[in-house]
Amino acid sequence: MQTVQQNKAHWSLRDVIFLAIIAIFFGIIYQVWGYMYYALAATPLKPFANDLTLGVWIMAGPMAGVLLKKVGASFLGELLAATVEMLLFSSWGASTLLSGSIQGLGSELGFTATGYKNWDKLGIALSVVTSTIVTFAWDLFSNGYLHYQPMMIIGLFLIRLVSIGFFAGILVYWIKQLLDRTGLIK
Amino acid sequence: MTLNPSVMLIIILEIGLPMAFTQSLAGNLAVCFIAFCYLMVNRASLKTISFVMLISLPLAFGTGWSFIAFGTGDVWHQAFLQVSRLFAYIFLGMTLTLTTQVRDILLSFINHLHLSPTFAYGLFAAFNLLPRIQRQVKTIRYSANLRGITYHLWQPQLYFKAILSALQWSDDLAQGMASHGFSEGADRTITYHDNLPKWQWGLAIILIASYLILSLLT
Repeated sequence: MQTVQQNKAHWSLRDVIFLAIIAIFFGIIYQVWGYMYYALAATPLKPFANDLTLGVWIMAGPMAGVLLKKVGASFLGELLAATVEMLLFSSWGASTLLSGSIQGLGSELGFTATGYKNWDKLGIALSVVTSTIVTFAWDLFSNGYLHYQPMMIIGLFLIRLVSIGFFAGILVYWIKQLLDRTGLIK
Repeated sequence: MTLNPSVMLIIILEIGLPMAFTQSLAGNLAVCFIAFCYLMVNRASLKTISFVMLISLPLAFGTGWSFIAFGTGDVWHQAFLQVSRLFAYIFLGMTLTLTTQVRDILLSFINHLHLSPTFAYGLFAAFNLLPRIQRQVKTIRYSANLRGITYHLWQPQLYFKAILSALQWSDDLAQGMASHGFSEGADRTITYHDNLPKWQWGLAIILIASYLILSLLT
């Protein structure tokens, strides 16, 4: 009797455990980033610290998309990461679910734009752009970015684009290349 | 009085979402105050709350200062508003995570918010691996160090090896759970029953509505 389903459109138990374990792994690896963030965040440079490190938190979304190649994988991957974050690591508690949903939505839209056909460079690149725009729009309100000086807002947006572009774009692509070579991910 | 985790989640999301857009100092302070009272009534650990406050102080300080340094308009008002919002989010978030156990939260979501058991039990399975995962991260780093290599966070290797472990473990766990009788999508006997009286939904509506009214008026 086969109870572990292999269907691609459907979320199997294995997929959920896989993403959750990755989320925990990344969560542990990120703890190191926490210290760097804190060092900067206690100064007026805090918004820069936010945007400089944001890419790291977004990684889980496109990574999940590239690994599972499913509709909703990026969104759910990021939401799972936020759930793990909420239950195991974060002092923000359930509020991380809110930011996780926004970030997940942002990463997902990039792959949606390719009609879920491209999980390679193009999909990842579009995902970088959409997650930068969506999360920045959210922060314009939630973190009050709208009330900063215009030049600063532009600067923050560019820093965020670079951060997300590197971590959720280039780094995710490098990891994908290494994984492709193993032939373990279909 | 402990609210059901499902009700708590709805309250947190429905207040947290508009809170990003409202400009109400009073609204934020009210959220902090009510959440703090709720935490006290439920005997959440004061030590943990103080610790969370302590580590968020630098963040609050940085937030406030950044608006004073780079803000436009009434910078002091904006600084206080953003700092109060930061604490409101933290208090709101703690109300769920400090008063309930992971198990009760996920099982309640299955019962009342249609969370699929596959997700809930998948998460349980992964959480139980936490100590092993922590050890694995160390093992990956140490074994690289033995070969004179250091993996940096901006390089793909550490993540790559973590994903390979996750791939293997998730296969093993899923098969293990299947062989113990976990059938995906099949009807489950529900042995976990939690209390969710209707008045709790009523209270949720009242709290959310009062927040919206308060923050629109002030």
